[in-house]
Amino acid sequence: MQYWALLVDSFRESRDRKIFWLMLVISIMVAGAMLCVGFEPGKVTFLFGMWEHETSYFTDVTGLKTDLIAGIVVDGIMDTVLGWIGVTLAIIATAGLFPSWMERGAIDVVVSKPIARWELFLGRYLGGLAFVLFQATVFVLLTFLVAGVRWGTWLPGYLLAIPLVVLLFSYLYCVSVSVAVVFRSTVAAILLTLVVWISFTGVQTLDDLVTFKYTEWQEQRSVYRSVHLARWIVPKTQDMTHIAKKWSGAAPVDEFLPEPAEEDRANYELAARIEAARMALNPVYTIGSSLLFEVVLLILAMWRFSRMDF
Amino acid sequence: MVGITEMTNWGVDLIDVRKTYGRSIEALRGVNIQVGRGEIFGLLGPNGAGKTTLVKIMMTVVKPTHALGTILGRPLGHRGKLRTTGYLPEDHCFPPYLTGFQLLDYYAALAKVPRARRKENAKRLLDRMWLTQWANVRIDKYSKGMLQRLGIAQALMNDPELVILDEPTDGLDPVGRRDVRELLLELRNRGTTIFLNSHLLSELEMVCDRVAILVNGLVARQGTLSELTEHTLDYRITLQSDATAIKNKLEAMGALVDGCAVKLTGDDTDKLNAVIDLVRGEGILVQAVEPHHFTLEDILVEAMGDQRIPPARPVAGFEQRQG
Ligand SMILES: Nc1ncnc2c1ncn2[C@@H]1O[C@H](COP(=O)(O)OP(=O)(O)OP(=O)(O)O)[C@@H](O)[C@H]1O
Ligand SMILES: [Mg+2]
Repeated sequence: MQYWALLVDSFRESRDRKIFWLMLVISIMVAGAMLCVGFEPGKVTFLFGMWEHETSYFTDVTGLKTDLIAGIVVDGIMDTVLGWIGVTLAIIATAGLFPSWMERGAIDVVVSKPIARWELFLGRYLGGLAFVLFQATVFVLLTFLVAGVRWGTWLPGYLLAIPLVVLLFSYLYCVSVSVAVVFRSTVAAILLTLVVWISFTGVQTLDDLVTFKYTEWQEQRSVYRSVHLARWIVPKTQDMTHIAKKWSGAAPVDEFLPEPAEEDRANYELAARIEAARMALNPVYTIGSSLLFEVVLLILAMWRFSRMDF
Repeated sequence: MVGITEMTNWGVDLIDVRKTYGRSIEALRGVNIQVGRGEIFGLLGPNGAGKTTLVKIMMTVVKPTHALGTILGRPLGHRGKLRTTGYLPEDHCFPPYLTGFQLLDYYAALAKVPRARRKENAKRLLDRMWLTQWANVRIDKYSKGMLQRLGIAQALMNDPELVILDEPTDGLDPVGRRDVRELLLELRNRGTTIFLNSHLLSELEMVCDRVAILVNGLVARQGTLSELTEHTLDYRITLQSDATAIKNKLEAMGALVDGCAVKLTGDDTDKLNAVIDLVRGEGILVQAVEPHHFTLEDILVEAMGDQRIPPARPVAGFEQRQG
């Protein structure tokens, strides 16, 4: 009952923000835009035939490739709209949940209740995740339905993107609440979380570059090891899309890309190798090591929260 | 050793509560306070005395540097007892996105009040606090006084055994204040223990059974209102004729002489009589002897003026424990 009350309260608070509605509008608009696109034999149509584009991929609608549609839906639409824009908006929308809750005069009644501080913290944290779960469900369900009804491709595996996005968000949300517990400031929570997100991405990219491109760096064992270790420690934010692609049966991108020009071939092959390596990662390792980071950070934040004077 | 029966006798029994914020702000320096069950207790003191800090420690909002004692017979922070304690914080700011009803329901759910009782109590308390028409209005539309009334309702949602109110009449108009006083008396009649923080002296005088005065983080006085105020401040003796002639003799006895008026400080009947004997011996007639009683305000001002604050006055039942 206490947890439920906390969840409902966090949800009510996030619903009170404009971003909540903005995110819903974006989801609906994306689904609407997808409805306007159709795939016909040998061409893609926009706005129900007002504009057409000839292509060699859709030679036969009945044989329309499921993996191609999955690639478009997951890599093209979900990753960009939900994985980047959506998660950024969610960080902004939820960053205030802890600072406003912890304000003097507001938190007093809550912490005086017969419930442990760490439980309060956890309840509030889960409340933030519930908000994202709601938004991700709306987005994925809408796009899932459009892909099924309009494009004739049902992608049951794509529904797993819902928990994956919540998971991705939770990697960043644990940073946001830790900052909030220390500084009690929404702005600090947003800024630092974005910076940390960029640095997570940076570490993962750096490790890929050292592994595949600047292989000469590997001779500096200590550099190589620390980059590797850093990658092991930080949440694998970039791998979420790869897992989503794998689970929804999307085809590797290079199958559909035009042949690269001669001078781009090296970059193209490098990208393909990195992509292949990422697709090959074991989700248990990726998710498990990321969750470890999250849990440790949360325990520290909880500990701090439990000892605070308000 | 404190016996279990003795432990449970008090509604609130705080022993040596100390709180230092950060390194150097000593908000409480060893507070002892006892509140009987079913009584209205007032904690009084100047700004920054540590009243709010003490209440926050009782409600686990602030962690004490050191604290012993019990609340409702259980150690501080006991879950079961927090469940039956109501609390109105000072300067509260409730979540603006909730309606009055939702707020009551939310806080009561955190106190594990079953759903049916939450609904029933919310309805009853909104009605009691004149907020029924506002039940489904977001509280960012409430006036200050309405918020305060909602806050009081919130503190009563769990049918508490103990209610702790930090400045409950803050922001209320005179009618609202009187209404709160009536509510407090109603609660006491039902056996609820009430712990009140206030700097409105008249308010405390009207309802409190016992008060403590907190100054600079220490209890300067503690007792029933009559115990504190019966205690005379001084005697004013009016003579029929001028006493300047015996001024030196009177001053030697500790009295102040100003023409026909003599003032004797302190509550000492022997000395009073000695002064009267002396005056009568000189053939001067005594016209009036008036004891001048302490008011709560005098006590507070006196306590605040005390540079070295005396240890808290032991109250009944407390001496044995120390002995
Ligand atoms: N969170 C805090 N951090 C540091 N110092 C604090 C904190 N809260 C209170 N204090 C200090 O502790 C002392 C006691 O403050 P407290 O709020 O308990 O006083 P009060 O008696 O309630 O005063 P008032 O009548 O103004 O409400 C003050 O010196 C105050 O500055
Ligand atoms: Mg105060």
